[in-house]
Amino acid sequence: MPREKIIVICPGRGSYSRETSGYLKKYLDLSLPEINFIEGKRKFNNQLSPLELDSLPFRAKVHMVGENASALIYACSFMDFTSIDREKYEIVAIAGNSMGWYTALALSGAVLNENAFELIDTMGSMMKDKIIGGQLIYPIIDRTWQTDHEKTFLVLDAINKANAYVSIYLGGYIVIGGDNKSLTHLKKILPPIDDYPFKIPYHGAFHTPLMNTISTNAFGIFPSSFFSKPNIPLIDGRGNIWESYSTNPQDLYNYTLGTQVTKAYNFTKSITVAMKEFCPDKIVLLGPGNSLGGAVGQIIVQNDWNNVNSKKTFLSNQNQDPFLVSMGIAEQREIVSI
Amino acid sequence: MFNRAEIIDRNFTKLTKNGKFPQPRTISNLSDLNIQTHDLISIFQSQVLSRHMDLKARTLKDEGKCFYTIGSSGHEGNAVFGKIFHLEDIAFLHYRSTPFFIERSKQSNGSTPLYDTALSFVASSDDPISGGRHKVIGSKKLNIPPQTSTIASHLPKAVGAAVSIDRARDLNIKERELKDNSIVVCSFGDASTNHATALSAFNTASLIQYNGGHVPIVFICEDNGLGISVPTEDYWIEKNYSNRIGIKYLQTDGLNLIDLYIKTIQAESFCRKNRKPVFLHMKTIRLMGHAGSDIELGYKTLDEIESIEFNDPLLHSARLLIENNCLSSEEVINIYENCRSRVHQVFDYASMRPKLIDGKEVMSAITSNSNKRVSPPLPNENSRKKIFGKEYKRLNQKHHMAKLINYALFDSLLQYSNTVIFGEDVAKKGGVYHVTADIYKQFGARRIFDSPLDETSIIGFATGFGHNGFVSIPEIQFLAYFHNAEDQLRGEAATLPFFSEGQYTNPMVIRIPGLAYQKGFGGHFHNDNSLTIFRDIPGIILAVPSNGLDAVKMLRAAIKTAHEDNRIVIFIEPIALYMTKDLLNRGDGKWSFAYPKLTEQIPVGESRKYGNGKALTILSYGNGLYLSLQAQKEIEKKINKKIQVIDLCWLSEVNGEKLLKLIGQSNKVLIVDECRKSGCYGEGIMTDLLSVSKKSIQIKLHAAMDSFVPLGEGATSTLPSKDSIAEAALKLFNA
Repeated sequence: MPREKIIVICPGRGSYSRETSGYLKKYLDLSLPEINFIEGKRKFNNQLSPLELDSLPFRAKVHMVGENASALIYACSFMDFTSIDREKYEIVAIAGNSMGWYTALALSGAVLNENAFELIDTMGSMMKDKIIGGQLIYPIIDRTWQTDHEKTFLVLDAINKANAYVSIYLGGYIVIGGDNKSLTHLKKILPPIDDYPFKIPYHGAFHTPLMNTISTNAFGIFPSSFFSKPNIPLIDGRGNIWESYSTNPQDLYNYTLGTQVTKAYNFTKSITVAMKEFCPDKIVLLGPGNSLGGAVGQIIVQNDWNNVNSKKTFLSNQNQDPFLVSMGIAEQREIVSI
Repeated sequence: MFNRAEIIDRNFTKLTKNGKFPQPRTISNLSDLNIQTHDLISIFQSQVLSRHMDLKARTLKDEGKCFYTIGSSGHEGNAVFGKIFHLEDIAFLHYRSTPFFIERSKQSNGSTPLYDTALSFVASSDDPISGGRHKVIGSKKLNIPPQTSTIASHLPKAVGAAVSIDRARDLNIKERELKDNSIVVCSFGDASTNHATALSAFNTASLIQYNGGHVPIVFICEDNGLGISVPTEDYWIEKNYSNRIGIKYLQTDGLNLIDLYIKTIQAESFCRKNRKPVFLHMKTIRLMGHAGSDIELGYKTLDEIESIEFNDPLLHSARLLIENNCLSSEEVINIYENCRSRVHQVFDYASMRPKLIDGKEVMSAITSNSNKRVSPPLPNENSRKKIFGKEYKRLNQKHHMAKLINYALFDSLLQYSNTVIFGEDVAKKGGVYHVTADIYKQFGARRIFDSPLDETSIIGFATGFGHNGFVSIPEIQFLAYFHNAEDQLRGEAATLPFFSEGQYTNPMVIRIPGLAYQKGFGGHFHNDNSLTIFRDIPGIILAVPSNGLDAVKMLRAAIKTAHEDNRIVIFIEPIALYMTKDLLNRGDGKWSFAYPKLTEQIPVGESRKYGNGKALTILSYGNGLYLSLQAQKEIEKKINKKIQVIDLCWLSEVNGEKLLKLIGQSNKVLIVDECRKSGCYGEGIMTDLLSVSKKSIQIKLHAAMDSFVPLGEGATSTLPSKDSIAEAALKLFNA
C-alpha cells in the first residue's frame, strides 16, 4: 500500500507552555542518541537539560526564556519527528515557524543534530542578558477566520508609521516586532479585540532589522560547513523550497543566519507553498503542544484547501478525519505515531 | 506498444540505469562555464518536473480531467532561459515553455509553479492567471503575460514592448511597468517564423535598429524541426536569419545545458548592453507528437521516431550531470521519481478544484481591469497657450472635424503624458488628412512617430506599449487597411484581460479614418464601408462620431476610459465628414463648430438626439446621421409631423432597453446604416430592439448594398442617400 504523503511543521518559541508541561517526559524514548546528546550537552554546560526543565513545575521565567525554551522545544519536536511511522507516512517536505526553522534544518538533515542543537541553543541564548525589542500579536481575521483585508491594510499601515515591523505572518495573525517604544504605541492605538494586541513575554523583535547585530554575531560564530543539502525538501520563511539535490549549502547558511534573522518570517506563505507544491495527504504538526494549530487552520481556510473555507468547517473536518494532525493532541498523535 | 509517452518515460530510467546515453551533439566543457553544480541540478529538476507534467496531463486527459496536452517535451532546454533572463525581463512565451516558467519562478519568493500550471492544465477557476479560461503560460508575478496558441501573434507586441522600455525611460513615464534596464524575451517555434505576424515583427525590429532605434529583445526560436507534421529543413532557420540586418544571430544546442548556458548569456548580455535585437536559435527536438492527439507514425517511420526519442534532452542532461560528477545515476533516478510523485500528487488535487461553469463567470474577465488609474488634471491655460501657439486664438472659431480632432489630440497629449501617437505618415506630414498636423513640432519624435507601412506592427506596437503603462493612440491610415492587423486586435489585444482576469491590460485608442462617401477619391480601399470586423469582438468599444464637436467630446471620453479602465477603443473618423462644414445648404456652416471646453465629453455609451418628434425615429451614426439630418426636414414636411433623429455615437455600447427609452413613444424606427447590410451594426440593433420591446414597434433597416464601393461617379450608388433615406422613412411611416 502506498505511503501517505505528509508535510511536517516544526513549531517555534511559543509552543512550550503551562499546558504542555511534562510533554517530553510523557513520550520520550531515551534510547534516542540525539536526545541523549542534547541532555548531556546541556548538563555539561551547567544548564538545565530539556528533561530536567520538563520535569519542573512550569514557570514562565524559566521555561519561556530563550536559553531554556529553545533547547526544550527542539528536543520535544525531535522526539515527535522520530515517532512518525515512516512505513505508513512519507515525509515530502518540512517547514517550521520562526525558531522551528532551525528544527526543520536538523530534521531534514541539512544540519547535523549536534550542530543544530548548538545553533538553536546559541541563537536562543543570544539575548540572554538583554532582550532586544519585543513582539506583539494581533488578529487580522474575524471569528469565522475570514481575512479582513481592510483591517490588514490598516494594521500594516500602523506598523509602518510606528517604525515597527512585521515579524511573522502567522495565519490569521500578524506578529509585530519592534522596540519597546513603538510596541507601546501600537498597543495603545490598535483597537482591542479580546486579549489583543498581546505582548508575547520573553520574546525579542525576531525577524526584524533590530536583529542585525544578532545576525552578524551568528555569522561570526557558526561556520558555513555546518550546512549541507537537506535529505527532505525544506520550505523557508519566504515560501522558497530548498530541494534535496539542488540546494547550495552556502545559500542556505546565508539565508538562515541572515535574511531569516532580520526579515519577516512569512509562515503563512511557507505553509501555503507547502500545500500547493506538495499537496500532502496530511499535515503533521510536531509538539510540544498545539499552539500553532490555529494558525495552520487559518492558512487552510485562507486557501480554501480541501474546500475548507471557515473555522466551522475546519473544526468539523478535524473531528471526523483530521487533515492537520497535531502530535501534541494525544488522539491525533496516535494516527501518525509508530 | 505505440504509446510513445510511456516508452519515453520507461526509456529514461532504463537508459540512465544502464548508462546508455546519447552522445553530445556539441562539445562543451563544464569548466568553460562559471556555474555552480547546484544550479545545473536545479535546471535539470525543472526539466524533469515539466516532463512529468506532460506525462500526467495525458493520463488525466484520458480520464476526462485535463483539457490540454500540448507539452514541452523536447523543449526542456528552455529552462536555461528561465534561469538566465531576469525576472524584470518581460517574457512573451511559446506554449512549450513550462520549463522556463518553473525555472523563472525560482527568482521570485513563494512561487507555486507546479500547482499553478496544474490548475491551468485542468482549466480550474482557481488558476491564478486565466481563472480557468485557457491553458496559458503566464503569471503577473513572474512577468509573463499569458499566451495562448495563436501562432506567432505575440511577436509584434513583444517588439512593441521592447521599444517601449527605452522610450518610457526617456519620457520618464511614471506609469511605466518595465524596468529601465530590462529587455524582452520572446519565444516561438520554427514553423511560426513563416507566419506573417512573425515576419512583421522581425522586419520591424530590424528596421528600427537599422534606423538607430533601440529594440532590446531576444527572439528565441525553439526549432524542433517540425510544424505539426511538416518538416522544417535543417538549415532553413539558420540560413534565413543568420544574416538579417540589425539582428544578431546566435545558435545553441537545445540538448546541451552547457552550450545553452553559454549562448544564452551571450544573447542576454549583448541585448541588454547594446539595446539591440538578438535571434537566439535553439535547435532541439519534439517528443510525443504535437499534442496528445497527434500520432507521429502517420508521417514518420518508427526508426525516425525512435532515433529522435533517443536524443531526449533529459537523457542529455542526465549524461552531462553524471559525467561531471554532479550526480550519480541513482540520484538522477531519484530526482526523476520524486518529481513524478510530486506532480501526480499536485495534479490529482488540482483536478478536483472548481471549474468555470456559469457564462457570467466566464465573461466577467472580458473587460476586467486590475490596473485602474485616475486621469491626470486637465492642462492649464499657460501650457495650452504654449503648445497651441498661434492656433490658441483660433480655438473659439468654427472648424471642421479634422481640425477639431487635431486640437483634441494636442490637449490629450498635454494632459496624458503616457500617450503616444504613431502610424503611417502621422509625424512630419501630419497624416494624409492633416489630423495630426503640427503635433510633431510641439511634442517631438518620442511622442509622435511614423510607423513602417505595416498595420500588424502598428497594432502590435500599441499592445506592447500598453504592457508598459502607455496609452497608445495609433492611426490606421484607412479602414480597409485594418484587416491586415485584425488578429492583433482579435486574437491578442482584446483577449489579454480575458486570459489574465484583468491583471494584464493593453489600453489604446485606435484612430481609423474610414467609411465611404468620399467625393472623387479612392474606390473600395479608401471607402471601405464595413465595421463588421469589430462587431463580434468581446470587450472593445467602437466610436463613430458624425461631426467635429462630438468627435472631440468622444475622443476625450475614449482616452479617459483607455487610461482609467484600460479599455481598447476603436475610433472611426468618417473621412467624408473631415472637411465638411455645411449641413443643409452650401455655406450654412452648420457642420462646423468651435472647440468645446476641456471639461465637455460624451461619455461612452451616450447618444445624441436631434428633434423630439414622435411620428418616426431614425437611428444612425457617421455619414448616415449626417444624411438623415438632411432628410429630416423633407420627411417632416411630407408627413406634416415632427420626427427625431438619434446619433448612436458608440456603436458597441448600444443597449436595447436604454435605446427604447430614448425612442420613447415613437413606434416606427428606421435604422440608417451606411455599412454593407450583411453583418452591419444596424442588424444587431434591430434584433436587439425587437427582442426587448414589449410594445408593437415597426423597425426597418436601411443599409448599404452588399457591394464593394466602386470608383468614380458610381461611388455612392450602393449607399444610403438623403433621398433614399427620405423614401424609406415615408414608406415606413405609411406602412
